Amino acid sequence: MLAADREESASRFGLISGKGDSVHSAPMSNVALQGLSKSFGDLEVLDNVSLEIESGSFVSFIGPSGCGKTTLVRVVAGLEVASSGSVLVDGSPPALARSHKRVGLVPQQPGLLPWRTVRANAHLLLDVNRAANPADAANSNALLREVGLGEFMEAYPHELSGGMQQRVALVRALALHAPLLVMDEPFAALDEITRSEMRLLLNQLVEGRGVTVLFVTHNISEAIALSDRVIVCSPRPARVVADIAIDLPRPRSRDIEDDARFVKLCADVRHALHGAMRP
Amino acid sequence: MRQRFLAPVLGIVVFIAAWEGFVRAFDVRPFILRAPSSAVNYLWKFRDDYLAASWVTVQHSMIGLLTALLIAVIIGAVLSSNRFIERATQPILLLVQVVPWIAYVTSVVVWLGSGTAPALFMVTLVCLPAFVFATVDGMRSVEPATLELLSSVDATRREVLFRVRLPSAAPMLFTTARFNLGLALAIAYYVEGANVANEGIGAIGRKAAASFKGADRLWAAVFSVAIIGVSALLLLSLLERTVLHWHAAQRSERR
Repeated sequence: MLAADREESASRFGLISGKGDSVHSAPMSNVALQGLSKSFGDLEVLDNVSLEIESGSFVSFIGPSGCGKTTLVRVVAGLEVASSGSVLVDGSPPALARSHKRVGLVPQQPGLLPWRTVRANAHLLLDVNRAANPADAANSNALLREVGLGEFMEAYPHELSGGMQQRVALVRALALHAPLLVMDEPFAALDEITRSEMRLLLNQLVEGRGVTVLFVTHNISEAIALSDRVIVCSPRPARVVADIAIDLPRPRSRDIEDDARFVKLCADVRHALHGAMRP
Repeated sequence: MRQRFLAPVLGIVVFIAAWEGFVRAFDVRPFILRAPSSAVNYLWKFRDDYLAASWVTVQHSMIGLLTALLIAVIIGAVLSSNRFIERATQPILLLVQVVPWIAYVTSVVVWLGSGTAPALFMVTLVCLPAFVFATVDGMRSVEPATLELLSSVDATRREVLFRVRLPSAAPMLFTTARFNLGLALAIAYYVEGANVANEGIGAIGRKAAASFKGADRLWAAVFSVAIIGVSALLLLSLLERTVLHWHAAQRSERR
């Protein structure tokens, strides 16, 4: 049955890749959460979360620390199992999406292997579970050049700055050509200047690729600069307290943060967050 | 770069010169300490015998060491994936590590007879625990983020083992190998002397120690194992620098 599934998904990938440039189009993914709850023992982390996430949209989750937003995206990525409720990634349960390599994970720490070069690190996820590799896997070398690491292909992680390491981690996830990217505070450990560069880069990378992104962050302006939609979560157990559409034009440039609408949206998100914190 | 070679060579030359000078100046009794020149002379005179014996000792210690490493990696891979088996095995390994091998080596020689078997067995057995601990620690040292990442694409346990866990254990295994090297040589030397096969540097040393005029023979044996040990250590460093270049660079950066 699994083999048949793989074949089916491979042919689906094949069809889609036939439509155009293989690097710039990803198969669509739609994430649906229905009454999702999760507890670790007595600790309730997620409380009845229901969400529909449209294919190709960039959705940020923002909320106080420890509120459970990380757990939420981990459940979607198939790294945790929900206690109740249902999760569908592109119509299939997360475990299946995971085994088909349809989720690209960007963790908070880049997690690069110190003995692999940048080139080999970017290719890591394609080197395991090869049977599930999509026929049109993106060219990780081309992606590395696209993020400005063309000169560093043969370098080792310890020779790179934090921002460069995180760029390798981005490429590693994008190289899977997965329809869904899950990013758990990927820029949290970076300095402010690098962070704002990474924002710009991530926008350039995902715009036009049609990939769905779930992005966890603590940073209001980061969430707004990147997203089509910002979900504000309550303190633990996390519930959705606000769902704010970010109708800023794309492609987004650095100047977007000076836009009056941007400032207004920041205020909206901040108020929603403070409202959620109040008992 | 030049200093890296010059300094250690100078250190050894000064040490040997001081030794030679000390023995000559104070007229130390021959059996207590021989002048290095006289031991080296003897070694050179009987170089064929010492070379043949050294080769036996090299085989005993190095094959034993490599066997221990191989078995330890297999055991370590099993232990690092199962806490229960690890806890059950730990006391046995600790016992092997802590109980002086010299206390029971005679029984092993009686059991396995003479020649290569007891030497290989003892070297393998005694070097095993440290290698197992290093493997387990090294495999557990992998960042959780990395493991999670691989699990997000359903990598198999085998893939995780070979692509992440084993390479992570390599630095610790090299460190342990360095420590085990001296141990392996000591055990090989002793077991060779403790059985009737009369092979290896240990056999020469044992007989020399028992004879009244064996001082030169004994010290030539000591020099032989010293040469074996230093060569093996150099080879190990060279291998480490090639295989773990990424690790060496990381370390020097942290300093």
